Amino acid sequence: MSEALSKTEAIVKKGKALGADEVLANTTFGRYRQTRFSNNEVDITAAWNDYVTDVALSWQKRFVATQIHNFEKIDETMKRLYRLAKVSKENPMYGGIAKGKFKYDKSKADKSLENLEDQADYVFQAIEAARKEAGRDLNAGGILFTKLEDVYLASSEGPTGEDCRSAIEFSIRAFSQREASGHGVECSSTIKGFDPARAGRKAGEIAKMARNPKEGVEGRYDVIFDPLFAGALSGMWGGMTSAFAVMIQRSIFVNKLGQKVASDAVTMRDIPASYSMSNRVFDDEGTPVKENVLIDKGVLKTYVHNTSTAKIFKTETTGNAGLVFPNPWNLELDAGDMSKDEMFKDVKRGLYLTNTWYTRFQNYATGDFSTIPRDGMFLIENGEIKQSWKDVRISDNALRMLNNIAGISKERQHVHWWIEADPPSLSPYIFMKDVQITRPK
Amino acid sequence: MQVCHFSQGENIMDKDIADFALNYAQGKKVDYAEVRAHTENQEGLVIKNGILDAYVAAVDDGFCVRVLADGGIGFASTNKWTRDEAKTIVDMAIKFAKMAKRKDKITFAEEKSVRITWKADEKKKLANVPSETRIETMLEIDKDLASHGINVPARMLNLGSNLAEKYFVNSEGSVISSYVPRINAYAFITVVENGKPEQAYKTFGYAGGWEALDEWKIREQMISQAKVLQRVIKEAKAVNPSKMDLICGPEVTGIAAHESCGHPMEADRILGREMSQAGRSFIYPGGPFWVGTTIGSEAVTVVDDPTVKNSYGYYEYDDEGIKARRRYMYKKGVINEFLHNRETAARLKAQSNGSSRAINYDREAIVRMSNTFVEPGDFSEEEIFEDVKQGVYMKSFTEWNIDDKRFNQRYVGREAYWIENGELKHPIARPVIETTTKIFWTAVDAVSKKIEYDAATCGKSDPMQGVPVYTGGPILRLRGVYVK
Repeated sequence: MSEALSKTEAIVKKGKALGADEVLANTTFGRYRQTRFSNNEVDITAAWNDYVTDVALSWQKRFVATQIHNFEKIDETMKRLYRLAKVSKENPMYGGIAKGKFKYDKSKADKSLENLEDQADYVFQAIEAARKEAGRDLNAGGILFTKLEDVYLASSEGPTGEDCRSAIEFSIRAFSQREASGHGVECSSTIKGFDPARAGRKAGEIAKMARNPKEGVEGRYDVIFDPLFAGALSGMWGGMTSAFAVMIQRSIFVNKLGQKVASDAVTMRDIPASYSMSNRVFDDEGTPVKENVLIDKGVLKTYVHNTSTAKIFKTETTGNAGLVFPNPWNLELDAGDMSKDEMFKDVKRGLYLTNTWYTRFQNYATGDFSTIPRDGMFLIENGEIKQSWKDVRISDNALRMLNNIAGISKERQHVHWWIEADPPSLSPYIFMKDVQITRPK
Repeated sequence: MQVCHFSQGENIMDKDIADFALNYAQGKKVDYAEVRAHTENQEGLVIKNGILDAYVAAVDDGFCVRVLADGGIGFASTNKWTRDEAKTIVDMAIKFAKMAKRKDKITFAEEKSVRITWKADEKKKLANVPSETRIETMLEIDKDLASHGINVPARMLNLGSNLAEKYFVNSEGSVISSYVPRINAYAFITVVENGKPEQAYKTFGYAGGWEALDEWKIREQMISQAKVLQRVIKEAKAVNPSKMDLICGPEVTGIAAHESCGHPMEADRILGREMSQAGRSFIYPGGPFWVGTTIGSEAVTVVDDPTVKNSYGYYEYDDEGIKARRRYMYKKGVINEFLHNRETAARLKAQSNGSSRAINYDREAIVRMSNTFVEPGDFSEEEIFEDVKQGVYMKSFTEWNIDDKRFNQRYVGREAYWIENGELKHPIARPVIETTTKIFWTAVDAVSKKIEYDAATCGKSDPMQGVPVYTGGPILRLRGVYVK
């Protein structure tokens, strides 16, 4: 047993010795590196070394949590945490944490990401690739991010394990003109096959097409969403499958289990697979992660759960703890049967939208919301891109849009971007009918 | 009876290690070095539909090193307080700075060094407020909210506090110690009437002590919100889309000030440093808008001021050690002064105006707002309303957003009323103003005398840094804008 796991177990033992009913400790040694760039130059490279143990404890259905940064302070911190539990209030709906001994898959993390050399060179390669598409005047910004986490989990209820989680992400936004830009991302769990220039080429290609944009026109349009935009939509829909979101009605899926919530074209899964930036072998309470079908051919099959929320909904945990808030890890929209090119050919008059941000709701329960497309947005006529647009907004309904999905491409991309296309996802091109577009007056 | 004061926990900060890291960096002959150490003593509770879901309390602490070398910036942080770790992160930061290979070398604006200790006023010390009191207070609010006669089937109440101690030293001789306790609450409710749901949320924030609870009046505010939502469901009518007068309540004034003045006036955005995430600005070198350009009517003055006592965005010195002061961003309708840190100030040949903030030790300090609001005008509220023949009063908002150049924005009313001949009539269901920054601020012809603030968390940067801010202002009257 590693020293870190042994010390993590010592925290659990201490909590039990104090009188706690359940104790869970999750130690993470995280090494995070990021290079940020703008105006084609590196602005800053940053490193964060983070050593932390997240500790949760229950006593007579009172649930409390803390963090320990220094193993020398275990006794003192655990006494304080136990005292906190004793003055806390009973949660009659508390359903406990995962119980049992589990075998976990072996991590496939890429340890070389701890100290990736020459981060700036990856940035320059991608900028150069974007310039090849859109010209020397192109102005680009973005990030290169790497993560390597060693994780040690111990629980009084049985689960014990080690995991290693790695990720690398490159994101580039390229401007060919002041109001003409494109965005590309390259996301992976490993350096193998990682190609930031691919993201640069995509950003440059869109930025070139986006030149000389015209003011968009209000109306209802058939829309093709790029995988990056589809990643943002997946995150929006997927986040609303959290049982916590459902319980406080921050979800369009309240009381809709087993019901049709999307068109037949939609099958959405959640799985923190080894390719994903969210790769992991167990969740935050030690339940082995697995593939969950959230929406199957348009029918809502499950919410995502931890042990406690699962008990409330009289089901099993889906392996998505978050101890308070269960959440999806890595969303996948199943591939469809048409190619991207076929999808474009089918559009008589519609739009191609490549990215979005600032998604905000009027009402989470009904799903009324708006979001603002950014980067390339294009008018399509008879299957061909006719015009670059700017200054439009989607003002629609999240549930209606799910039901208006008419096609999903064969091609899919692993995408993640900032807080918008989050969590990471495997996203296709989506063809959606009748999307409401508005603009400022 | 047991009493738990989790926030009276240990303080791990080791200033000697921070000083050691600075000395070690200076020995490496860098152009500039700073060390910023934080101890963030945090507590938070979540109440979901009347039940305490979880209580989380922890001390987060660590330090970072930022260096300027060969015209590049390197940054590294750790929460391990050892000299070896300090050397490791200094070496890493220097290596990163040199790796940048910048053609356009970064410099920092010249500023005076400062040696000072400062702290926020705190009447009822948060560290002395037991966990039980926090829990009971919020549970009682939830109980009243659930039992006052309106159906509120879904409720979430959060309460959090953060006692932030900081120690800042740099290679120019600054030594600054500070202490700012902050307390915040968040309420999210769903009201259902005749099977129809409407939702409202509110953030409360304060730099200071437990006295915040007396000022906030969460119970009264959220019960009032529930009544408003019920009335919206039962009585609200749609507005006939057209050009009309619009009166914005302080909450709407505040969000507009934040989104379409504060953000576009951040100099790092203006210079493109946030281009890939939060975006750029409609203000940029060589563009149609710059200092001296008219952006609104003469009635409009929008400021950002960190020095408002007990405000959620309060600070006296920023995270580069620069004295904070009020910044006049739009002054009488004219673009006046950007928000700067030392890097952007050097680039635009200005001085820093103390706008550099980081949310914790492991994040770079960047240009941020603090408390952004429209300055009060000369009109009484009665005068503002009595002169409107037909229009909408948008007292508060729900959905909102703005494009990444901060020009195309949309605010949807949560509590809104039809105005006829100066009098409030029936509620309006979710009226929308979707317009541009220029149209919005140019349409303002009257500003009331009384100012109100709302707490919010402003998001920016990558990784995301949510910083505490106030938004606010008086009541504004906009003439002839399109409302739908």
